[in-house]
Amino acid sequence: MKPTLFSAKNIIVQGITGSHGRFQTKAMLTTGTNVVAGTTPGKGGQVVEGVPVYDSIADIQKEHPVDTTVVFVPAPFAKLAILEAITAHIPLIVCITEGVPIHDMLEIRKRLKNSDSVLIGPNSPGVIIPGVNKLGIIPANMSLPGRTALVSRSGTLTYETMAGLSARGIGQRYVIGIGGDRIRGTDFIDCLELFEHDPDVDTIVLIGEIGGTDEQLAADYIASSVKKPVFAYVAGHHAPVGVQLGHAGAILGTTDESADAKTDALKRAGAHTATSITQLIQLISKWASGNVKND
Amino acid sequence: MKLLEYEAKNLLSQSRVATPRSSTLHQNDSPQLSLPVVLKSQVPTGGRGKAGGIRIVEDQKNLQQAIDDLFALSIKGFRPHTLLAEEKLAIAHEYYLSLTIDRVAAEIRLIAHTDGGVEVEENLEDSYLNIEVSKDNIEAVGQQLADYYNLPGQTFVLQDLVENIYKCFTTNDATLLEINPLVFTVDEKFVAGDCKMELDDSAAFRHDWKFENQATEANFVTLNPNGTVATIANGAGLAMATVDAVADSGMTPANFLDIGGGSNTETLVAAFRRIVTYPNIQAIVINVFAGISRCDDVARAIVAAKDQIDTLPPLFIRLVGTNFEAAVDILSEEGIPILATLEDCLAAAKQKVTS
Repeated sequence: MKPTLFSAKNIIVQGITGSHGRFQTKAMLTTGTNVVAGTTPGKGGQVVEGVPVYDSIADIQKEHPVDTTVVFVPAPFAKLAILEAITAHIPLIVCITEGVPIHDMLEIRKRLKNSDSVLIGPNSPGVIIPGVNKLGIIPANMSLPGRTALVSRSGTLTYETMAGLSARGIGQRYVIGIGGDRIRGTDFIDCLELFEHDPDVDTIVLIGEIGGTDEQLAADYIASSVKKPVFAYVAGHHAPVGVQLGHAGAILGTTDESADAKTDALKRAGAHTATSITQLIQLISKWASGNVKND
Repeated sequence: MKLLEYEAKNLLSQSRVATPRSSTLHQNDSPQLSLPVVLKSQVPTGGRGKAGGIRIVEDQKNLQQAIDDLFALSIKGFRPHTLLAEEKLAIAHEYYLSLTIDRVAAEIRLIAHTDGGVEVEENLEDSYLNIEVSKDNIEAVGQQLADYYNLPGQTFVLQDLVENIYKCFTTNDATLLEINPLVFTVDEKFVAGDCKMELDDSAAFRHDWKFENQATEANFVTLNPNGTVATIANGAGLAMATVDAVADSGMTPANFLDIGGGSNTETLVAAFRRIVTYPNIQAIVINVFAGISRCDDVARAIVAAKDQIDTLPPLFIRLVGTNFEAAVDILSEEGIPILATLEDCLAAAKQKVTS
C-alpha cells in the first residue's frame, strides 16, 4: 500500500440509497470528502445528497474515473459488490458492511490475489486521513491532522483512541480500522509496512483484540521490520476465552489467543504496551511531550 | 453455531457421506431398536465418552435403564434433549479427517491422521497431512489422502469422500467439519463414526437452519456474578476495553455487554433486568461511541429503559459521536448527566462503590 492510495479524490459509495449509505454519504460530504457518485442496482438516475446514483460501477466509469469505493451494501449482497469493484480495477475498496459470510470472504480473497485492488474490511469503520479524506463512518470531528498512525481491529476503539489523542493535541496521519472479522482484505502488517515507510509518520499505534493470531504476527513484523515507536493495547484482558470445538484448532497450532499473551508478544517485539485505552493514551502523550523536547 | 452430532451427520448423509444406521430418541419415546445399539448423548460439548455419555446396549432388559441414565446425565452442565441410537460398527481401523478454515491464509485446509479417536491430539504435530483443498484440486487431494493413509486400493473411494465432505462444508457454510473417528470397517467401507460441525452464523440468511442450539446471544457475558460494576458498551472492542478499564481502576466488573450498532429500548431493558439480578451491583457504566449508531437513539433508549426498572443502581454515562448534542438534551431533561470521558465515569462510580 502507498500513501497516495488513501488521498485520491474520485470516491464513490456502493449502496448509497440505503439508510446507512445515505446518512454516511452526507457525513463524508460534510467533511469535504469528494463523493462523485454512488451505486444501487435498479436505482440509476436518482440523486442522494446531491450525488448522482448509477446502476453499476461500469456505468459510472463511462463518465468519471473512480479511485476509491466505500461499500455499505447489505451483507447478503456485499460479495457481489466487492467483486464488482475488483472487476472494475478500483484501487481502494473500503467495506463497512458487517456480517459478510466467511465463505464469501474466501472467494473474495482469492479474487484479490493478482488484482489491482486493496480491500479494507469488511466490518470496518473505514479510514480517515485527517484533513484529507473520510472513507467510512469514523467521526471526523474527533480527528486532528498530525503524524501519528493508528490501526485497529475494533471500530469503536478506533474512535476512542483517536478522540483521546486529538484531545491531547496529538494529531493523526492515518486512522485505519481494518475490521473485526477474522478474514479480511488488509491486516496489521500491511498497515505497519505503510506507516514505517511513510516519512510523514513518526509514531505508530496498534489496537488489537483477543482471538486469532494477528497480533502475534504483527509482533513478529514489528521486531523484524519496524524502527518507529509502536504503542499497543490489546482489548479483553478480563474477557473469557471462547471454548473450542473439536481438535482441528489444536492440531493447526496451539497459539495462546488471550490478551495477556498478545500483549507479551508485542512487548517482546519492542512495543510500548498498555492494559487500558486510558493508559495507552497517557503513554503516547508522555512520549510525544518528551519527543518534542528532543527535537 | 455448533451442531449436535446427529445434526452434523444428517448434513453428511445429505452430501452422500456414509454414516451409521441410526435413529434419534426423545424423552418418553418407546423405541424399537435392533440390538446391539450404541446410545450417544447429544450435548454441545466434547469429552462426552469419558463422562459416560456413550453406552453400548447388547441386551433388551438393559435398554430402558441406559436411556433413562443418559437423559439424566449432565455433561459439563449440559443435559441432552436427544439421544442418538446407532448400529455398532465392525471397526478395522479409526482414522482422523477434518476440514477447517485457515483464517490467515484464507483457505480451506484438509487435515488427516492415520490414527483417529479420542487421543488424536497425542499424535505428533508433524505427522498430520495438512493441505489446502479447493474445488480445483479435489482429485489430487483424494490421491494424496489415499497415499497418506497407505490405502492405494481406496483411491477412488477417498477422492469421492473428499469431494463429498468438501461439498458438505461449502454448501452448508461450515467453518469446521471434523470426522473423528473416520471408521474403516472390516468390510472396507468408510463410515463417519462421530462428527463435529460448526456453521457460520453470518450465513444464516441463505439457509433454513433449524437446529437445537440456535446461536445464543454471546453479546452479554457474566464475568463475575459478585461484581460491583456492570458495563454496557457498543462494539466488542469498546466493550472489552470498558471491562479492562473498570478492572484497572480497582473495581470488579460483573459483565461484558456489547449492544452493537442497533441500540434500542428492548436491548437495554433486557440488559438492565439481568444486571439487577447481580447481588452486589452498585453502579452501571455505559460507554457508547456512536459511529453507525446515533447518540440520540441511545439516549432515548436509556430514558425509556430506566422508566421500566425500579431498583436500578446509579448510571454513569459517557456518550460521544454522531448526534451527541441531541443526546445531551434528551438526558438532561430527565436529570441524567453525561460525563465527558470514561475516566470521569469510573472516578464518579468509584465514589458510589464500596468493596
